[in-house]
Amino acid sequence: MDGTTGGAGLDARLDGVGVHFGEPDAGLQAIDGLTLDIPAGSFTVIIGPNGCGKSTLLRLLAGLLAPSTGSVTVGGREPRAGDGRVALAFQQPRLVPWRTTLANVALPLELDGVPPMERHDRAVVALERVGLAGAAGLRPRELSGGMAQRAALARALITDPPVLLLDEPFSALDALTRETFDAELQRLWMEQPRTVVLVTHSVVEAVALADRVVVMTPRPGRVARVVEVDLDRPRPPELLGHPRAAELAAEVRAGLASGRALELRPWAEGEGAA
Amino acid sequence: MRRVAAALLSLAAFLVAWKLITLLGGYPEFILPAPEVVAERAVRAIASGVLWEHAGVTLLEIVLGFALGAGAAVLTGIALGKSVLVERVLSPYIVAAQAVPILALAPLLDIWFGGGLLARVVICALIVFFPIAIATMVGIRSADPLLDEMLRSLGAGPAQRTRLLEIPSALPVIFGGLRVGVTLAVIGAVVAEWAGASTGLGVLINIANQGLFDTPLMFVALAALAVIGLAFYGLVVAVERRLVSR
Repeated sequence: MDGTTGGAGLDARLDGVGVHFGEPDAGLQAIDGLTLDIPAGSFTVIIGPNGCGKSTLLRLLAGLLAPSTGSVTVGGREPRAGDGRVALAFQQPRLVPWRTTLANVALPLELDGVPPMERHDRAVVALERVGLAGAAGLRPRELSGGMAQRAALARALITDPPVLLLDEPFSALDALTRETFDAELQRLWMEQPRTVVLVTHSVVEAVALADRVVVMTPRPGRVARVVEVDLDRPRPPELLGHPRAAELAAEVRAGLASGRALELRPWAEGEGAA
Repeated sequence: MRRVAAALLSLAAFLVAWKLITLLGGYPEFILPAPEVVAERAVRAIASGVLWEHAGVTLLEIVLGFALGAGAAVLTGIALGKSVLVERVLSPYIVAAQAVPILALAPLLDIWFGGGLLARVVICALIVFFPIAIATMVGIRSADPLLDEMLRSLGAGPAQRTRLLEIPSALPVIFGGLRVGVTLAVIGAVVAEWAGASTGLGVLINIANQGLFDTPLMFVALAALAVIGLAFYGLVVAVERRLVSR
């Protein structure tokens, strides 16, 4: 895309970011004073309680939302939706119901004006990569929840974006399927490194996948703690029984708890705390 | 096969009921002619070319009026659906125009648009416009906001989102409007002819009814309108089946 990194993704920075919805004096302060560096090619997991602005953070990085205060950059530039640098996969698959799986996966290429033949070929490859080769001709309503989410992942990956944003993409799946997905996501990332930012509620998932876990405070969201995960890869599910993994999980949980403690303090005092 | 059989059976039942009413009531022909009298009159009207002469004009008015009215309505409906401002500015006029009886406006429109085919097409288009415009607006707004955000995240602009999401989402509702609109187009053509025309099925109804006291011929003209309405409705449904796959 551009020369900011050696091909393994782009870095992202949020600097003193605040996001306010609604009227200046009323409304909702979703994020306040959030500063975060996401290194190029890293796997970052954002974890935090409901409503702490995790999804808002991803929307900022995807260029769907501009910060009210502060600055957001991806690869040194302000992100803009559709600039090919960032892809966002949502909590729901969000497949277009009247398109086949293949046509859904090819949608980003269609918007970029890629010719139909090339579109088709690349979508076939993208579906194969997520293990959905047989579902190309099916409509979204004929897919299981897991298959639909794979298709959504294929759609996000088809443009080979330097930055992949994942907003709790597996939260609607059962625990076993989810474990498989986490392992596959890790495999995909190791095969083709890029910057990944994954939002989750699950401490286990965070430790299983992340280079760094960013723990956020309750609303207004800011960074409570950053936990570096120094476990070897690939990390099979068994590894999570390892003492070091348990230690890291405890650290993330402590971070979440300290965030909650912060919430209990009066707002005036909480102002300016990080 | 079964559909055709059901339709034929229902037609037969209708004709039998009609015949029974004329038999039991013993009405004179100028009040309620029996079905075979109307059929015989239809054969004569077709043979003499009278029916074709009038029906052809009305068909042309319906096709042009519906195309103009539906085309304008879909475009307006998209604008109304996409912009609250456009809706605020335009909708009072659209609703007011719809509330004014077209029957009262028709003679005026006939003068404004020169009294020819154009005038009748415009009147027909006006009557068709409202249900389709409203259906399109509602349909455009029914697009899933989650899919809209997904498309925006891929950098799709407003025009692309309209083409790829809003229009396909709106199609089932738009076709609901088109079904209503196409039957109104038949009424619109007749109303327009009554406002000032020398040919057309509406004119034929007037001639048969008030000039010739030929009630069977009036029934022939009414039946022709019904058949035209059914045919166009069927056409809209057929197009809908092809385009709306859900």
